Amino acid sequence: MQKERICSATDIPDNGMKTYEIKGVKVLVANAGECFYAYQGLCPHQDVCLDEGYFDGSVLTCHQHLWQWDIRTGEAMGLAEAPLEKYEVEVSDGELFVVQSSALKAVEMLKDVSAATLSRLEQLAKREEYDEGAVVYEVNDPTDDLYVLESGRVEFTIGREDRTRLAGFMLRKGEVFGWAALLEQSPRRIAKAICHEKSVLLRIDGGAMLEVLEADPASGLVVMRRLSELIARHMSGPQNG
Amino acid sequence: MKIQVNARNRTHLFETEAGAGEKILHAGLMRGIALPYECASGTCGTCKARLVSGDISDAWPDAPGRKYLKAAGEFLMCQCSATTDVVAEVPAFVQLMETGSCVPLASKGCIVATQMLTHDVMTLDIESAEAIDFDAGQFMLVGVSEVEGMRGWSMVNFDRHARLLRFLVRRKPGGVLSDWLFADGSRTGAGVDLYGPLGHATFYPSLGKDLLCIAGGSGIAGMMSILARAEQDNYFERHDGNVFFGVRSMKDVYFLDEFTRLRAQCGNRLAVTVALSDEDPPDGLDDEYPLIRFERGFVHEVAARQMQQKLANVMAYLAGPPPAVDASIRMLLLSRVTADNIRYDKFS
Repeated sequence: MQKERICSATDIPDNGMKTYEIKGVKVLVANAGECFYAYQGLCPHQDVCLDEGYFDGSVLTCHQHLWQWDIRTGEAMGLAEAPLEKYEVEVSDGELFVVQSSALKAVEMLKDVSAATLSRLEQLAKREEYDEGAVVYEVNDPTDDLYVLESGRVEFTIGREDRTRLAGFMLRKGEVFGWAALLEQSPRRIAKAICHEKSVLLRIDGGAMLEVLEADPASGLVVMRRLSELIARHMSGPQNG
Repeated sequence: MKIQVNARNRTHLFETEAGAGEKILHAGLMRGIALPYECASGTCGTCKARLVSGDISDAWPDAPGRKYLKAAGEFLMCQCSATTDVVAEVPAFVQLMETGSCVPLASKGCIVATQMLTHDVMTLDIESAEAIDFDAGQFMLVGVSEVEGMRGWSMVNFDRHARLLRFLVRRKPGGVLSDWLFADGSRTGAGVDLYGPLGHATFYPSLGKDLLCIAGGSGIAGMMSILARAEQDNYFERHDGNVFFGVRSMKDVYFLDEFTRLRAQCGNRLAVTVALSDEDPPDGLDDEYPLIRFERGFVHEVAARQMQQKLANVMAYLAGPPPAVDASIRMLLLSRVTADNIRYDKFS
C-alpha cells in the first residue's frame, strides 16, 4: 500500500475509533488523544470488526472474545493470541495518511529487537513473489533461509510421496517459517512448503541473520527466546492419528 | 466417516459415527481434540470451519450463529455432521485437551424430578446413565426426542462422577423445549439425550483469587456450581467471594434459602447481593433474610457500586442474558479488570 489519505484528524474524537476501507482493506484508526494509530480493521481471531469493540484511549478490546491490544504498539495483551497489523500514520495539515509497514515489523520474534538491528535485517531480506502452487522448499532441501509471510498463504505438508499430510498453514502477515535456518543441528527441511495462493515472502539468509544478531547480543537473546517459545508451541501436545 | 481437520498448527484425524448424525464438533471434542467452541448450540459462531472436501448435512440451516459465516463453504461444526469423509479447515491453533480436562461424552438420561421455583423457572433433575465428570461452571447439551435440537444448560450442583445433574430452566415465550417442559403434566420419567460437559468458564480452587459472580436470571445456575465447589474446598476461608444475582422483581427471585445457608456456612468473606431492576426491595426483607443484601438496580450497576476498590485480585464469572453479560464486561474492563480475569461462555 502506498501512502493513502484516510480522513481528517477532526473526524475521530478523543478516545474514539473508526473503520475506513482502503482498496478493499479495512483499516481501523484510533485517536488516543495525543496520537493517532492505525491497525487492521478486523480481529485476527474471527474477522470481527474491531470498531464494534471497546477502546479506552490505551487498550483496544474486541467485544467478541475479549482479545486485547496495546494501542501504541498493536501488541497482544491478555487473552489475545496474535498482534494487530500496524500501519504507520502521518498527520499533515490536519489530514491523516496511512502507510503499510514492513512485514518484519509484524514479526513476533523480532518485536523487541533494536531499531538498528531491525534495519540491518531489512537490508538482508529479499522480497519474492510466488504464484499459486509454487513450492518454496521440499523435504530434505537445505535449510539456508528463513521466510516471513508478507501476504498470501503458505501450507506445509509432512511425509513422503503419496503418504503426505497437511501439517499447518500460515496466513498472517509477519508469520515466520523455515526457522530451522537459525538452528545448527537442522540442516534439512522436514516439511514441504507450498504457496496455496499468490504470495509475497521476505527471504532472509539464516547465517547472515545470526551474524547480525551476534553483533547485537541483547536483541539476539530476545530472538532466541522467542524462537524457543515458537518451537515449544509447535511441539506441545502428543500427536494423534 | 473419517474427519480431517486442518488447523493452523497441525492436522487432526478422527471418525464420526456413520448415519448417526454425530456432529463434527462433538466427535472431535469426545476424542480430546480442543476444537474451538463456546455455545456448542448454534448461536455464537465460534466453531466455524471451512469445508475443503466431502459432504455435510446441516441440522439447523437457520442457526443464528451462521451470521458469523462469511466465506463460501463455511459451516458450524456444532450443527453439521459428515455424510461422506470430510476435510475441513479451522483457522486456529488446535491442540489436544490438557491432561485432567473433563472430556465430553454422550449419554442417555432420564428426568427424575422437576420443581417450580417461580412462575417461570424450574429446577430439572436428570439422572445420567453414565457418570459424568465436570468442572464447576460447565454446561451440558440436553435434548428430548419430542423436540428438535439440543439446549445448553449449566449444572447447578457440583459432584464428582455425577449421575444426578441439576439444571435451571426458564420458560421462554415461544421456546419449543421449554413449552414441552412447562406443559401441564409431569415430565418425570421422560428420556433425554445428554452431551457434555462443555464450557470454558470454569472454577478450580487452585485459582487463588477473589471470586466475583455476576449473574442475570437463570445464569445463576453455573454460579451455584462454582459456589458448591468453593464451599467444599473451604475457599472462602482464604479468599473473598461476591455474588450478584440480578432479577426483575421479588416474584422472580429464588435460592434465597440456599444463599442464606451458604453465607452461614462460608462466613463473612462471602457476600450475596440480589439486585432488583424493576422495583425497590420491599420492607421487611432484610429482617427475613439478614445474611443477604437487596438493592435496586441492574445487576452490573449494583456490582459496580459495591465492588469499588475491591477488584484488584478478582476472577469474574459472568452469565445470563447477553445484554447483562455485555454490560458487565464493559463495566469490568472500564474498572481495569483485565480480560484474562473475566470468564463467561458466549451464547450469542
